[in-house]
Amino acid sequence: MESLLIVGTLVKLLLIPAYRSTDFEVHRNWLAITHSLPISQWYTEHTSEWTLDYPPLFAWFEKLLSMFAILADPAMLVVENLNYASPQTIFFQRATVIVSELILYWALKRYVKYFGSKYVHWILAGALFLHPGILIVDHMHFQYNGFLYGILVLSIVEAKRNNLLESGILFAILLNFKHIYLYMAPAYFVYLLQAYCFVPVESNREGPNGQRKFSVGRLITLGSAVVGVFTISMGPFIYMGQLPNLVGRLFPFTRGLCHAYWAPNFWALYAALDRILIFAAKALGWPLNEAALGSMTRGYVGDTQFAVLPPVQAIHTMLITVIVQLIVLQVLWRKPTFDNFLSSLTLCTFASYLFGWHVHEKAIMLVLVPLGLMAANSKTHLRIFIILSSTGIFSLFPLLFEPTETPIKVSVTLLWLITVVPGLARCLARPLKSILTYAEMYYIIGIIGVQIYTDIGHNLIFGSKTLQFLPLMLTSVYCAVGIIYGWGLFMREFLAGRM
Amino acid sequence: MEGLWMTNPVKQGLRHLVRHETLWTAPLVYLLFGSLVRWAVALHPYSGQNTPPQYGDYEAQRHWMELTINLPTKDWYTHDLTWWGLDYPPLTAFHSRLCGSIGSMIDSSWFELYSSRGLESMGSKLFMRSAVFVSEMIIYIPAVLVFCQVQYGSKDIFQKHIGAILIIMQPALLLIDHGHFQFNSVMLGLTLWAINAFLTGYYVWGAIFFCLSLGFKQMALYYSPAVFAYLLAQCFKNKQGLILFCKLGITVLVTFGILFSPWLGSLDSILQVIHRVFPVARGLFEDKVASVWCTLNIFIKIRQLLSLEAAVKMSLVATLLAVVPVSIQLYLRPSPYRFLYALVNSSLAFFLLSFQVHEKSILLPALPVTLLVLEDPVAVRLFINTAMFSMFPLLKREGLEIPYVATTLLWNYLLGDYPKSTLSTLRNTINVVYAGFIGWHFIDLTVAPPEKLPDLFVVLNAAMSFTGLGLVTPLGVGVNHAWQNLLKSQCGIVSLSNTPGFESLPVRIGACVPQGPKEQGQFTASEWLDKGDDRVMAKFTQFAIAAARQALEDAEWKPNDESEKERTVRVILFFFFIIISIMKCKIVN
Repeated sequence: MESLLIVGTLVKLLLIPAYRSTDFEVHRNWLAITHSLPISQWYTEHTSEWTLDYPPLFAWFEKLLSMFAILADPAMLVVENLNYASPQTIFFQRATVIVSELILYWALKRYVKYFGSKYVHWILAGALFLHPGILIVDHMHFQYNGFLYGILVLSIVEAKRNNLLESGILFAILLNFKHIYLYMAPAYFVYLLQAYCFVPVESNREGPNGQRKFSVGRLITLGSAVVGVFTISMGPFIYMGQLPNLVGRLFPFTRGLCHAYWAPNFWALYAALDRILIFAAKALGWPLNEAALGSMTRGYVGDTQFAVLPPVQAIHTMLITVIVQLIVLQVLWRKPTFDNFLSSLTLCTFASYLFGWHVHEKAIMLVLVPLGLMAANSKTHLRIFIILSSTGIFSLFPLLFEPTETPIKVSVTLLWLITVVPGLARCLARPLKSILTYAEMYYIIGIIGVQIYTDIGHNLIFGSKTLQFLPLMLTSVYCAVGIIYGWGLFMREFLAGRM
Repeated sequence: MEGLWMTNPVKQGLRHLVRHETLWTAPLVYLLFGSLVRWAVALHPYSGQNTPPQYGDYEAQRHWMELTINLPTKDWYTHDLTWWGLDYPPLTAFHSRLCGSIGSMIDSSWFELYSSRGLESMGSKLFMRSAVFVSEMIIYIPAVLVFCQVQYGSKDIFQKHIGAILIIMQPALLLIDHGHFQFNSVMLGLTLWAINAFLTGYYVWGAIFFCLSLGFKQMALYYSPAVFAYLLAQCFKNKQGLILFCKLGITVLVTFGILFSPWLGSLDSILQVIHRVFPVARGLFEDKVASVWCTLNIFIKIRQLLSLEAAVKMSLVATLLAVVPVSIQLYLRPSPYRFLYALVNSSLAFFLLSFQVHEKSILLPALPVTLLVLEDPVAVRLFINTAMFSMFPLLKREGLEIPYVATTLLWNYLLGDYPKSTLSTLRNTINVVYAGFIGWHFIDLTVAPPEKLPDLFVVLNAAMSFTGLGLVTPLGVGVNHAWQNLLKSQCGIVSLSNTPGFESLPVRIGACVPQGPKEQGQFTASEWLDKGDDRVMAKFTQFAIAAARQALEDAEWKPNDESEKERTVRVILFFFFIIISIMKCKIVN
């Protein structure tokens, strides 16, 4: 594991000059805001279009970083210095991502320690630490997700050790770093309620049908701990009357259903079906929503319109998400075991990812991280893990749209698959070939074909000017098929009680 | 086998793979990892990026692609020589033509005649980087894998994998090819194919590959004394030798004939090719040559004593002195290991002592040195680290500091700790050298150089690489003594007839290090080593340590001519390797 840390860090250092998305400027701006403005203005300042829209703990984290940033290059801490990127700034920000990931490293070491310390756990820990998704999103595209996954893993490890209070507190902290973790909150809520707030009546061991009673004392303990975390985080802002600003920043309901590049979820398929139906509609003379014809493909953040299929409102997506989560949670409510908790956690996140409003493709990592922790539990787990990982990682490729990074993202993904998959299969004592069905195998090999098409084929066939949306749409739809298939498989196995 | 050391992380990883029956993934893993690191290095700037009007090596390579696809062969070596005129042999030109025509298929503007000069678009950069990557994957990497299979395949299951990883990840070649931008891996790959062929007995194939290597970059000549001696030994020490000799002769003639065929039509054009490829024919007094000699003059402090021409002659003598004994020894007793050490010896001797040394020529000795990484990990590590350190000013100028640090550390980490058997004196001496390197970097990073001496740190760097200088030669111990003896035209070679201990050797002459007190330029173990060490160390290790001590004393050396300092960086003497390669051949065997 140390060797992965050393080798990984050196490779991450090499990636410093890689393509940076606007998220780099976003975080620089936050450094500047938290450094140079009083707390009361953090959530009102809007010199840059990239306003602070993460919860307060993240703002404090940026404040902490800014104390070191001043040593590297004070100019990056000036709010008006928009798009400032001196070599020192780049190096500093990249280095902070690398250093903050030590939390993930530490969390994974604890994971190995408390999950059994077998070779298979070492592989999984290494696989998560050097996950291509993290390299793509954090170290090239630029974000701070690694240490957040670290906190998540820490929380899951505490849950495994049955320290549920600590687990809950860690999760509350996580929520106050980045509110996207609300996706998995329902699973935490149900599990903590069932496993922590109910105590067995007889002695200390609870049987499958053991009598249990509700403990108000525990509820109060847990509740006050979580409220305490929120108070520390939000308190100063509530005190200064900043709460409406803060909430308005965190939950901007003005964005469209799909992101510019469709995250490969249910709505991507829906939108693609709509595109296809346009042709049918033209042939059959159905009524069309003319305004929608050109909208999706140009794809800026805004309202998504459909030409044939009925329009989708935020409330619809919310309803579907909640229904799917309830199906998962009722199982957890009846059998609150740790394994069920981890599965429902993953599935709740998955439901939000698949059916949520304005989901970003990066959110797939929230599914892949908990899934990775249990990938070697059984052959089915491994099968789902392989399908979802390869598809999920591929769905992140469009984040790095410049050709320069293409060889890197391809080689890192292949390297990851070839180091992780055979080892895991071997640990389950299964021949590698028996894990996937032929259809699944061809689907995954097909990814290579799609990648070649988007890189080279499209320009050869259509030229670079026509049908520009097609490669992205193809990637999105192809991934959506695999991800939804993997999700269906996961759901089926989970509901059948096999996961 | 000393090369197997327990703390090596690569070996630990492989052991896991073996235990879980997934060793078959190992080659894929290190090939993909190698690719990842190469492409990550390729993100960084190349030589001459954004520096009009002349740009750098990248533009030279790009320009040759433009040149070769747009002009007839007869103009390749004459067209507008002021803008990166072609000065490599024909195979480079053919290779450029191949890359250029593929590139033009993708985007014809990349290699448009004249209008593409200095072109720096993202697409063309990616294409050029891919050209290096693909060439290396096709030629160099398979050669490395074959070499490891040939050399280590029959030993335990780990060795060939460890060897392959360490050779593939060697930072000097990686940075120069994928960072700085050159096609050295093609030339080195062809040479390595030749070595593979020689080691397995396919002499004719080996000769073809070696000719191709020479036909790609003339610098492969650095290897030629060893190759020549080895082949000659095969010809004249075997029964079928004469036939082999004829075969080899014809092969060489035919290969070169084909390579040069487009220019064979007229004497003028063939002479023009040769003039371009060997600029020494253009005269000894070009700036470049002169400054190399000035540099050497600083080192050796004979500047006041000799004229330039005398110095050139002196260098020839020195090169021959370094090359000839080992070559003779190789001829008399050819063996695969001796062949590899002889390759190190001859390429290193040329690198150090010949003129017209290109800045990056250290890659030539670095190839055979790296091949010996499992034999002599300590010495190879010192060599590669010193090579990297000496290239730092060049890399820094091109903005390659991050990959410099990352790849060097990565390789050192993969190499693991010292083998347990390493002697503490040797270990301490080397650690002092490393501490010097690290200290230099620290000062370079934190302290701005004084205004009057902007090159101060570059010079210090050279001076410290120069801590590698120390001579324990048959001519005398110590730099001054050796050179003074050389100047007095003394010969270090003596008759062995009356010397006890050498009766079993077939050679009747030899070059002995004179035994005696240091003040007279002679060698006494007790003056250089800790008490008792002389009994537990091999002779050549003792010499190495003595050389290191001298080097440290010598590092106080202070140059005073500003204009010469840049050049000094290139000329670095790697005492360990000279000593070890010579001694391995002469004494141990």
